[in-house]
Parts: sequence; structure tokens; C-alpha cells
Amino acid sequence: MTREYVYQQMNRIFRNVFDDESIELHDETNAEDIEDWDSLEQINLIVAIENEFEMMFDMVEVAELANVGEMVDLILKKDSNE
Amino acid sequence: MNNYRFEDLYEDLSVSFEETVTEEMMDAFWLISGDENPLHMKKEFAQSQGYKDRVVYGMLTSSLLSQLVGVHLPGKYCLLQGMELKYLNPVYVGDTLTVKGTVYELHPSVKMAVIKALITNQDGVKVVRGKINVGFLQYEDE
Repeated sequence: MTREYVYQQMNRIFRNVFDDESIELHDETNAEDIEDWDSLEQINLIVAIENEFEMMFDMVEVAELANVGEMVDLILKKDSNE
Repeated sequence: MNNYRFEDLYEDLSVSFEETVTEEMMDAFWLISGDENPLHMKKEFAQSQGYKDRVVYGMLTSSLLSQLVGVHLPGKYCLLQGMELKYLNPVYVGDTLTVKGTVYELHPSVKMAVIKALITNQDGVKVVRGKINVGFLQYEDE
């Protein structure tokens, strides 16, 4: 799985969750950059990402994420460990 | 009332209950929703549209899903977060509905469960199906 592929899927997930086709994710993108990104949408994002990449995170991993780049890193790390 | 905690749930765990739709429920839902569409209010109009009687509000039927998650699965600690539903067939006053919820997905990272919901009538016809996202309130002993 490449970083480019993960970003492609993440962009699709974010656009779907927030119903906003203009979203273009970057490493530094965080909740302050997307108006509707609150705690409930955070749950919806994590669930959509877990389902898309067929992997499960734990609560600590999710709590420590500061931005999209760290989420992509986590996905790639878990994928490489499988 | 059940009081399942997230940790108690497992995939395929299911719970069901029955409710019969009454005239009083229709009146109450009209008051709550303000929906005076004749499909729900006038038998003659509903019949002119091909239905055998006035049609029960779809959201009255799906309001039983509030009971499903708030009382039965998971029950006491439920925090409703969202749902996606499809209305498949009409429901009429007097129908006895079976409401079934089944644990479909568990996401420990965010303590969220996806419950598959299915409502059928007394003839076994599916009238509503969907998925419900539920989180969990703080447990009283935590």
C-alpha cells in the first residue's frame, strides 16, 4: 500500500463523511481546517477508515493522532505489520 | 431495560420485540410531527394512490428504533449517533411489527457499535431496514 493510495482513499472518505467534494487533505490537515470536524465526525471518520483499510485501531492510537499525516503514517505502519 | 456495555457486545448478538401500531399512535405522531399529508390522514386519498388504507408515518415506524437502542440493545447506556434507513413497504394501523436489532460491527477505538435494524410486519414482510450507530454513555460505576 502506497502513501499516495492511502491519501486517495482518505480524500474519498473525508469527502463522503463531510459531504464536501472540495476537501483536499495534506499531512498538516486537522480538525481546525474542516468546520464540521467534531467529536462525532471523528468517530465516523475512524470507523470509515477502519472499514476501508480493514484494520482496527486502539483507543490510545486514535487519541494520539494530531493530524491527517499521522493517521496516514499509522495506516501504513499497520499495513506493513500485517 | 437492558444495560449492555460496549464490552458486553459481540457480533451477531440480537434482540427483538413487538409493537402494534394504533390509531392513538398515529394521532400522537401527527401532533409531534405536524405532518398532515393525506396519505397518513385520509383513507380515501391513500386508497386512490393504491394503498389499502391510510399509511402509517414511516418515521413513526422507525421511531421504534429509538426503543430498540435506548431500551434493548444496548439499552441504558446508549448514545444514539446516527442511522441510515430504507422504507421498504407500507405499514397500516393494526399491524404488529417485529423490531430486531443485531450487532453488526464493533469499533473499540471509538467505542462505537453498528446495529443492523430490521422491522417486519405480522406477515414477515420487511418494512424498514437500516444501520444504527451507537456510542455509550459513561457507566455509573466508572
